[in-house]
Amino acid sequence: MRQVLPIAFLAACAVPASMLAGQESSAPSGRSVDQLLQAAVKARDENRQEEAIGLFQRVLSEQPESEQALWYLGTVFYEKERYAEACGLLRQFVTIRPDAGPAWALLGLGEFRLRQYPRALGHLQRAMALGMGDRKELVQAVFYHVAVLLSRAERFDDSMDMLLKMLASGPTNPALVEPAGLAGLRLPLLPAEVTPDRRELVNLAGQAVLALQTQHYEEAESAFRRLASVYPNEPGVHFLYGAYLMELHPDDSVQEFERELEISPSHVLARIRLAEHLITQRDFDRALALARQSIKLDPKRASAHMLAGEALLGAGNAGDGLKELETAREYDPGVSRIHWDLLRAYAAAGRKEDAEREKREIEKLHRAESTRPGNL
Amino acid sequence: MTRPGRRLPSPRAFLFRAIFLLYSSSVPSLLPVLLISFSVAPAASVPASFEAIARQADAARSQDRVQDAIRLYRKGTHLRPSWTEGWWYLGSLLYDQDRFPEAANAFQRLLATTSHRGPAHAFLGLCEYEAGKYDDALEQFRAWAETGWPATPQLRDVAVFHFALLLTRDGKFVESLYLMAPLASRLGDNAELSEAMGLASLRMPNLPENYPPDRRERIWLAGKAALYAAQSPAAFDQADEFAARLEERYPAQPEVHFFRATLYGFEGKKLEAEREYRQELRIAPNDVPSLVALAALDLEKAEVAEAGNLARQAAGADPKNAEAHHLLGRVLFANGDLRASASELEMAKRLAPDSPLIRSHLAMVYTKLGRTQEAKAESATFLTLKRKEEIMASPKDRLGEVREKAR
Repeated sequence: MRQVLPIAFLAACAVPASMLAGQESSAPSGRSVDQLLQAAVKARDENRQEEAIGLFQRVLSEQPESEQALWYLGTVFYEKERYAEACGLLRQFVTIRPDAGPAWALLGLGEFRLRQYPRALGHLQRAMALGMGDRKELVQAVFYHVAVLLSRAERFDDSMDMLLKMLASGPTNPALVEPAGLAGLRLPLLPAEVTPDRRELVNLAGQAVLALQTQHYEEAESAFRRLASVYPNEPGVHFLYGAYLMELHPDDSVQEFERELEISPSHVLARIRLAEHLITQRDFDRALALARQSIKLDPKRASAHMLAGEALLGAGNAGDGLKELETAREYDPGVSRIHWDLLRAYAAAGRKEDAEREKREIEKLHRAESTRPGNL
Repeated sequence: MTRPGRRLPSPRAFLFRAIFLLYSSSVPSLLPVLLISFSVAPAASVPASFEAIARQADAARSQDRVQDAIRLYRKGTHLRPSWTEGWWYLGSLLYDQDRFPEAANAFQRLLATTSHRGPAHAFLGLCEYEAGKYDDALEQFRAWAETGWPATPQLRDVAVFHFALLLTRDGKFVESLYLMAPLASRLGDNAELSEAMGLASLRMPNLPENYPPDRRERIWLAGKAALYAAQSPAAFDQADEFAARLEERYPAQPEVHFFRATLYGFEGKKLEAEREYRQELRIAPNDVPSLVALAALDLEKAEVAEAGNLARQAAGADPKNAEAHHLLGRVLFANGDLRASASELEMAKRLAPDSPLIRSHLAMVYTKLGRTQEAKAESATFLTLKRKEEIMASPKDRLGEVREKAR
C-alpha cells in the first residue's frame, strides 16, 4: 500500500465515459485536434510515453480544455512519478469536471506524494463523497490514504472509523497494522514517518487493535497485555489498553486510565472515558469533576460537556445539566447521544416542543448515517 | 463517541471561505473595500463588446459556472487590460481551483493596474507559495506587510500563516513564531499550525512539505508545546507535558534543549532554563543562541566575567550576531571599559539597526563618555523604535519614521 497506486492500474485507466460527455465537438480546428488526440492515445496505449506526452501537449496547446488530453496526460505524468505536473493537469480537469470522483482521487494521491497533506486529504475525501465507481483498487488506495491522513491531522477517531470500514470490507490487510497502531496510540504520524525505534511499539498496538476489531479476543488480550508490559511508561498505551478493557472488563479499565493520566496529565480522553465509566456507576460527583477538568483542558470538546450534563442531571441538577447538554449540542450537533440526553431532559422538564425537536434530530441523524456515502 | 469534539478549518479553508464571500453572488455588497477603492479604468475608448462580456462573466460567476466565468474574465481582461475587477475575479477563481501559476499571473496583472495593492500582494504571495516560488512569495508577503497588512480577517490569517512558514524557511525563526503566536491563540489546537510552530521552534529551515520524515514526531511534540504556550492565557502545564516528552524521546538531538530552555524562560523558570541551555551546549558547544541566552542570564545575575566569556565565544562563533556584540558591549560597560563597550555596541547597531535596546545601551555609554549629541540621537531612536516594536515592520520603515522625526 506504500506505493500509492500500481502503475498497472493507471495503464488500464481509460477515460471514464461518464467523465467525458459532450466534449471536443466544437474545436476550431476539430479534425486535426481529434487526429492528434487519437495518435496520442495510441502512443500511450503502446507505451510510447514520451511521444504520447508530446502529442497530448500539442492537443492542449490547441485546445486547453480538452478533457481527454488533460486526463490522459495527467495519468501519464502520474505514472512517470512527475506528480507536480500530473496534479497541475488534474486540477484543470476537475475544474471542468468537478463531479469526477476518480480524478479527485488521483489528484489527492498525487498531492500525497508531493507531501501536500492537508490538500490531499480534502481532495481524497471529495473523491469518496463523489464515488469512484467499481475501481476497487483505487477505492482501497483512497480509503487507506484518507485513514492515514486523518491520523496525521490528529483526527484519530475518524481515522479509526475509516480503518474499521476497511477491515469490515474484506480480509485483514497487513498494511493496516501500522495505521491502526498510530491511530490507537494517537500519534499523528504517517507510517513512513515512524522512526525505526518506534516501529515495534506501533506494530504491537496495531496488532492489538486489529485483533480486537476482528474479534480475535484472545490474541487481542495477549497483545494489549504485552503492549502495557513492554511499554509501561509510553504515552497513549494505557489509554488504549483501558479503552479495550472498558468494552469487556469495565472495572479493570479504571486503573489503566488513571495510569495514563499519571503519564499524560493533560490526556482529555482518559478523563472522558473515566467520567463515562463513573456515570454508569452512578458516581456523579467524581464524573462531574473529571468532565469539568476535560472542559478546562479542551473547552470546545462536545463529549466533555455532554458528560458534565449527564453527571449534573444524574445528581439532580437539571438546570445546569441542560445547559451543558445544550453546549455539547452546539459544539457537535452530529452526536446522537447528546440529542437523546436532551430529549429525556426536556421531556422530564415538561418541555414537549423541545423534546420533539430532539426526536426529529435523532431521526435525521439516523437517516443520514444510513445513507452516508463512502463505504467500501 | 467517535466524532471529535471539534474540527478547526485549515488556514486554506478559511481562505476559500474568504474568496467565496468575495465573489458570492448572494452578497455582492461584500465586495471588499480594496476593490471598491481600486481605480476603474475610464470608460472612453472601450470596445462595445467589453461591457457585455463583463456582464456575462459576472453572471457566470454568480451562477457558479466557473469555467465559463474564467473564460469570460480572461476575454474581458484581454479586451481591457486595466479592468481591475476582472483580474481580481480571474485570480480568485483560479486560486479557488488550485490553479496557482495562472492565478499568480492574474494577480500580477492586478497589481499592475492599481495603486491600492495591499491584499493583492497577499494573494499573489499565496499563489507563488503554492507554485513553489518561495522567494518571490516571501517578497510579496513583505510587500503586503509594508502596506499595513490590509485584508479580511480570514485572508490575513492564511497569509500570515504562509508568511510565517516562509520566514521559517528563511531561518527567521523568532519572527515566524512571533507571527504564529496570535494565530495559535485564536485558532487553538490546530494540527497545521502546531507543525509549523514545531519547525520554527526547533529552528529547522524547512517547509512542512519538505522536512525529513523521520523528524515528524519531534516537530509535532515541539509544535504542540509551542502552541499551548502561545495560548491566552498560556497553557504551560500542557506545554511542559509535550516538551518533557520531546526531551525524553530526543535527549541527544540538537535544538531540543534550547527549545526547552526557551519555554522555561517564558515561564520565568530561569534556573531550569539555564540548565537546559547548558545541556544544549554539551550537544552543540558553539550554539550561538544558547551562548547568547546564557550570557544574558549571567549578566542578569551580575556574573559579569562568565557573561563576558560566553558573549565572546558567541561573537567568535558568529561575528555577525548582533546580540552577541550587544551583550559583550554591556559586559564591557559593566566593567567600566566604556570605549570598548561603545565599539561593540556600535557593531551591534550596524548589524541590527532596528533593535531599540541596543540604541538604549549605546545612549547610556555615549552619555558616560560625554558624547551628548550622539547620546540624544540614540535615545530618540530608542523611543521611536520602542513605540514601533512591531517586529515585522521592515527596518526601512522603522528608520524612515526615525528620519522623519529627526527632521
